Amino acid sequence: MSDFKETLKSQIIEQLNLEDLTPGDIQDDAPLFGEGLGLDSIDALEFIVLLEQNYGIKIADPNEGKEIFQSVNSLAAYIQKNQ
Amino acid sequence: MKQLFVTYGGMITPLGSTIDAHTRALKNGQSGVTVVENSGFNQENWPLGKITTLHTENRYQELLSNLCDALIQNHGAPLFASSKTLIIVSSTKADIDALPNDTFASTRSIIETKLAPKNKPIIISNACISGVIAINTAADYLSTDEYDQCVVMGIDALSDFVVFGFQSLFALSDVPSQPFDKNRKGICIGEAAGAVIVSKAPIATSAFSVRYLGGSSSNDANHISGPSRTGEGLFRSVTNTFKRSGISPDQIDYISAHGTGTLYNDEMESIAFDRLQLTAVPLNSWKGYFGHTLGAAGIIEVLASMITMENDLLFKSIGFEETGTSCPLNVIKENTAQKVNTVLKTASGFGGGNASLILSKEV
Amino acid sequence: MKIVASVKLSPAGMFVNGNERKIAGVAEESWTKTIYSELGLNYPKFYKMDPLAKMAFLGINILQESAELAEMETEEVALIFANSSSSQATDLKFIESYDERGNPSPSLFVYTLPNILTGELAIFKKWYGENVFFINENFDASFFLDQINFYLRKGANKCLCGWVNAMDDAEECFLFLVSAEDGTITTEELTTLYKQ
Repeated sequence: MSDFKETLKSQIIEQLNLEDLTPGDIQDDAPLFGEGLGLDSIDALEFIVLLEQNYGIKIADPNEGKEIFQSVNSLAAYIQKNQ
Repeated sequence: MKQLFVTYGGMITPLGSTIDAHTRALKNGQSGVTVVENSGFNQENWPLGKITTLHTENRYQELLSNLCDALIQNHGAPLFASSKTLIIVSSTKADIDALPNDTFASTRSIIETKLAPKNKPIIISNACISGVIAINTAADYLSTDEYDQCVVMGIDALSDFVVFGFQSLFALSDVPSQPFDKNRKGICIGEAAGAVIVSKAPIATSAFSVRYLGGSSSNDANHISGPSRTGEGLFRSVTNTFKRSGISPDQIDYISAHGTGTLYNDEMESIAFDRLQLTAVPLNSWKGYFGHTLGAAGIIEVLASMITMENDLLFKSIGFEETGTSCPLNVIKENTAQKVNTVLKTASGFGGGNASLILSKEV
Repeated sequence: MKIVASVKLSPAGMFVNGNERKIAGVAEESWTKTIYSELGLNYPKFYKMDPLAKMAFLGINILQESAELAEMETEEVALIFANSSSSQATDLKFIESYDERGNPSPSLFVYTLPNILTGELAIFKKWYGENVFFINENFDASFFLDQINFYLRKGANKCLCGWVNAMDDAEECFLFLVSAEDGTITTEELTTLYKQ
């Protein structure tokens, strides 16, 4: 699971063009949006692409995304459940 | 401020290439937005304001070149080669196909070749408020003795870059855009080239001119791509423009709003106009006619507003049927003959920018 | 008018009010990240920014060490910016996202306008003043002085001006803050500060 989270962090960094960050800068349970990484609704669109391109998961309802994209932990759990 | 005049320079959109053609098209309620097959990243058929008469590969260069020709045809070459003339260009993406080379190089070279200006042209790239800022900048330069007139051009061409970009933001409408309407779904991108001449004295080659009374810009200081929920920047910009123009809200006969047709932009504008006590003033968005032409929008919408003033005819806001903003606005539903003396033009855009200006037939 | 403070940033070094300030380089880090760390900043949105906004954000944080920016609220400050390469560095990355990486990237697209950097500064400082972004072939001191005159006359008390470029690895950011107080600024003085 921890390897998977590292991979996920690298994918987040690449997809969101956060090239000055390393996976070590992102905490597993820190909020990705708002205060944490400072992400917003535009970045949520990138997460939707990330899930579709890397894991074949389609999110139809953007409201659903809010819970899923809360943290690396919640994102990882969602991917493992839906893959 | 010294009194300034604003005159038609040229206007090239899907609706035509002359002011007369545009006057006719607007009176007929024609829209230049049509479905363009395979225009999307996944071959979607987006409705776009595409000019079908362009025939070279570089749409931007052709548009700019055609606009320069129109300027010479309408006003004669000597005006542009005068040492008292300054050219100001407004564009967001300019010659985007030139990448990785300089996307603004062809702007300079085409103007140099076609218009032979004595002064180096000034280029403004400030997202969708570029055109309005460019006219306000012209007024700044005319506050000095150095220049007698500024030719202010706005040009942006359709490109995959821009269409794919707005598509990636889920900001495009799959039907012709419906600014301020309850069912609005987003933007239709368009392309256009337009020019106005701002001058200290009336331009001899032009029969019709209006006065420029003042303008300003303001930042929302809120978000780089999302409109402010309170309309803060637009409210501040229009408030300052009133102050600089010596005009009060009750003197405005018509508002040429930004009205992109997205949920959040149009809602933001309604809130700002409510705070400004302008909700009763007849208002339209030209985006239903031309699509959103980005850096050209401010210029061609000022041109369309001048046609409104010249004909004392308020043009309906294409795509609007039912109020869809929390503060109801007086959106024009049918072409209406009415005295249009004083006009407020507004624009809002990415980067949190808002800009506005006021034009008047009589002072 | 007079220059209150200035900063010039580039991979070659950092100059604050005309004096060089040493930055300890960190291997495997971008130069902007190094300055961000050295300044001890905590602004997560920094990582999302394009090179133009990153440089301008660092610049303003350095400027506020020597100028009382906190007192300049609301509409007092006009932002007058220019560069020669617009947002071309990010434009190329956005094209790459749909040409080579399979999807147009919304988080890149929103930075494909040069004036996003003025928006970022306005957000950071809660500045509601006037903004304008020009595309000029070269840094031109007299052009800036004309613009400053216009905006001071229109009612701004301060102008934050900037020349911020990012293209072909040639990154540079020159910010200078001008107040309406008595004084003169010569083009030579301004050009010298820029050329550091």
